[in-house]
Amino acid sequence: MHEFSMALEVINLARREAEKNMAATVQEITIEVGDLSGVEADAFESALGLLVKDSILCNAILTIVRTAGKGICIACNHEFEMVQRMATCPICHCFPSKISGGEEFRVVSLVVE
Amino acid sequence: MCDTCGCGDSGELKIHDRQTTHDHTHDHGHSHDHSHTHGPGSVLFMNTHDQPASKVINLNLDILSENNRIARINRHVFKEQKILGLNLVSSPGSGKTSILEITIKALISKRRIVVIEGDQQTLLDADRIEKAGAPAIQINTGSGCHLDARMVETAFKKLCAQPDSILFIENVGNLVCPAMFDLGEFKRVVVISVTEGEDKPLKYPYMFQSSHLCLINKSDLLPYVDFNTDKAMEYARSLNPAMEFIVVSAKTGDGMDQWYEWLGKQQVLMSSGTV
Repeated sequence: MHEFSMALEVINLARREAEKNMAATVQEITIEVGDLSGVEADAFESALGLLVKDSILCNAILTIVRTAGKGICIACNHEFEMVQRMATCPICHCFPSKISGGEEFRVVSLVVE
Repeated sequence: MCDTCGCGDSGELKIHDRQTTHDHTHDHGHSHDHSHTHGPGSVLFMNTHDQPASKVINLNLDILSENNRIARINRHVFKEQKILGLNLVSSPGSGKTSILEITIKALISKRRIVVIEGDQQTLLDADRIEKAGAPAIQINTGSGCHLDARMVETAFKKLCAQPDSILFIENVGNLVCPAMFDLGEFKRVVVISVTEGEDKPLKYPYMFQSSHLCLINKSDLLPYVDFNTDKAMEYARSLNPAMEFIVVSAKTGDGMDQWYEWLGKQQVLMSSGTV
């Protein structure tokens, strides 16, 4: 459900940036969605697709870049790929691990004109 | 020439995408109204490349940055006014409102308490809180599944809270979405009840990782359900080693004194600037 709110945030953010740059339209937008960000990339993309009509993003090409989750074991410092937030270290089997990647949810860039 | 879509590339406009590796300019003089995908990305709508003077803005800006900015303002305002802001989150029916009712009745003669109530619809919870003796503002989120910092900012202004108050923000009953939205609270309190199953923390890790205290409610029902309190705590600590726990019953009042002590401690910590 919160993907709709996030999509609205993206539209507002894009509008603010376009205004700041005195641009009339956004041609392209690149968004990074980490696998541990709490945002479902597919749901987010669907929500954005529904909400962009009549907005600054109505003609924009959307690129979503997925970032894999990564964690650092607090016991042995081993960095490993985390597919979920609760993961056991594959080397020493300890937990929890400190999340070191995959929590990103940000607008990377816009192309405006 | 762009390798991906074949359009011209004059070197001005750059898209830096490490997965699509598709950098090109779109300031060429001809128009071509094809739609095209960029690697794993997708086309929202038809793209018409027929306007000059494109500009790339490299932002790297958190999508929740506006919410977080307002949350920081809320936090600052609460601190300036010595308001202890607590964000209560849980699944629907865990007993947040009942806990608040009994808390207000027990403490209102000694402490100032104000409440922001979040629900999709109805004024029922705000009515219950006011009957218990504290001023309340109801936010109806409509189709929304969480409160955000701006809603709290607006509601807080209407509350006209006195200094040294406790501000309870009862979030929409939902263990998923409210985890993402900082409201400016001093601490986040997650409520679970013993009728829910001890594996809740593992199923909703975002919420348990972002909370400071876990109230385990409806302890009066423990003899009748299979809830393993120790296991629930173990699961929550495996996600969040710093998590504190208090087992309570809003029905019988068991454990509530510990909760009131915790509230008193937070007021001291907040006033002294310690998090």
